[in-house]
Amino acid sequence: MQANDDSVVRAVLAGDKDAYGVLVRAHSAVVFRAAFRIVGNEADAEEIVQEAFLRGYQRLESFERRSSFGTWIYRIAVNCALNRVGRPGIEAEYRHGEESDSEEKTVQVAALDAGPERVLLSREIKAAQEMAMRRLTPVEKTAFVLRHLEDRSMGEIAEVLGIAPNAAKQAVFRAVQKLRRELAPLRGTA
Amino acid sequence: MKHLSDEELVELYYGDHSARAGDGHLSVCAECSTRLAELRRDLEGVKAMVVPERGAEYGERVWKALRPQLIPYEKKAHGFFSKNWAQWRIAAVALGCAALVAAAFVGGRIWERHQKVTTTATNTSPQAQQRVVLVVLTDHLDRTERLLVSLEHADSSDREENAQLQSEARDLLASNRLYRATASNAGDPVLAGALDRLQGVLAEVANDPNLTAADLERVRNEMNTEGILFEIRVLRARGTEEMSGRQNKLGSAKGATI
Repeated sequence: MQANDDSVVRAVLAGDKDAYGVLVRAHSAVVFRAAFRIVGNEADAEEIVQEAFLRGYQRLESFERRSSFGTWIYRIAVNCALNRVGRPGIEAEYRHGEESDSEEKTVQVAALDAGPERVLLSREIKAAQEMAMRRLTPVEKTAFVLRHLEDRSMGEIAEVLGIAPNAAKQAVFRAVQKLRRELAPLRGTA
Repeated sequence: MKHLSDEELVELYYGDHSARAGDGHLSVCAECSTRLAELRRDLEGVKAMVVPERGAEYGERVWKALRPQLIPYEKKAHGFFSKNWAQWRIAAVALGCAALVAAAFVGGRIWERHQKVTTTATNTSPQAQQRVVLVVLTDHLDRTERLLVSLEHADSSDREENAQLQSEARDLLASNRLYRATASNAGDPVLAGALDRLQGVLAEVANDPNLTAADLERVRNEMNTEGILFEIRVLRARGTEEMSGRQNKLGSAKGATI
């Protein structure tokens, strides 16, 4: 895949704009998944995918093949997502949307055959988790998502966030502590 | 018995290598085992987040929306001359430098003869060559510094200013690539590293089809232009010092021979 991506990158830099479509089609889903996990909603995640691939195209000349194209575009997308969650306007918008949009919450509930009480409880737990995630700083949230949900190593997280590996480890640790504190009242009910 | 810290437990949970030593402790400490089990239960609950599925057609949709915004990179023309354009360019620069060195050498010889001063002609050529390289590089760093300063204070709404910024960045991009390769070949990692980081900023500014306030802000923040500016200033000062050092050396050598 990497060798193939490299030849596509060369073709794009040689003037074949359409070759970039191959890379977009191959990596869109992975980029979307990471973006969604960081920003928490589909509309923003889709915008981030567009933004990341546009930025990737514009700075393709600086792509030096030290890592694969997939890893490179992933890093760009995480940075775009990090910028997005760091913007207070978006965060406020996101909160407002969460409070008023009950449908979005229902997407994430437990099995369909669960009883109404169980479904309600599951919703409450999910809402509490989302609220706890929103209380993290952008760096803590991104570091946690990358470690916990995307299974990235501390080295990769440090590289993506442009911080030292120890700082990345600390960010994950702080996120875990905050989440546990926020979710402590639900322990008895889960 | 010393119990594991919360941080060590988190590292253990994620299978961090540095925390492996804690495995042994867990087998004998019920308290830490319980704490790890609680941590596992809390964190595994967070894994339940559902990401909306994106099928194979999603990539196509993204591409369709993206395609009209992309400007094709300049096609590299085929043929002997264009294929070897980079080599031609390097050869031309090398030839230019050689001609300058030769002119400086011959000029110096005539001048010295005219003044009836004896000089040590054996090491004139490499000195002059290094001076030429320093002068050219200092000029490049000087222009780069001006560009970075403009970038730091750019008014994003001024289209004319942005166009000038892009034009200068394109101009510097080509020469920077050459200097970066030369510095790397010459074994100067500090200079090569700084020029490498600079390359990213120049590429970013030069290739952005529609430079907006957000783009400028992003370039400034993501690529740490302030840090690069500092590096360039240090390198430029180093170049100036080296040049004046050489001039002083030459002056004192002359004084000794007269």
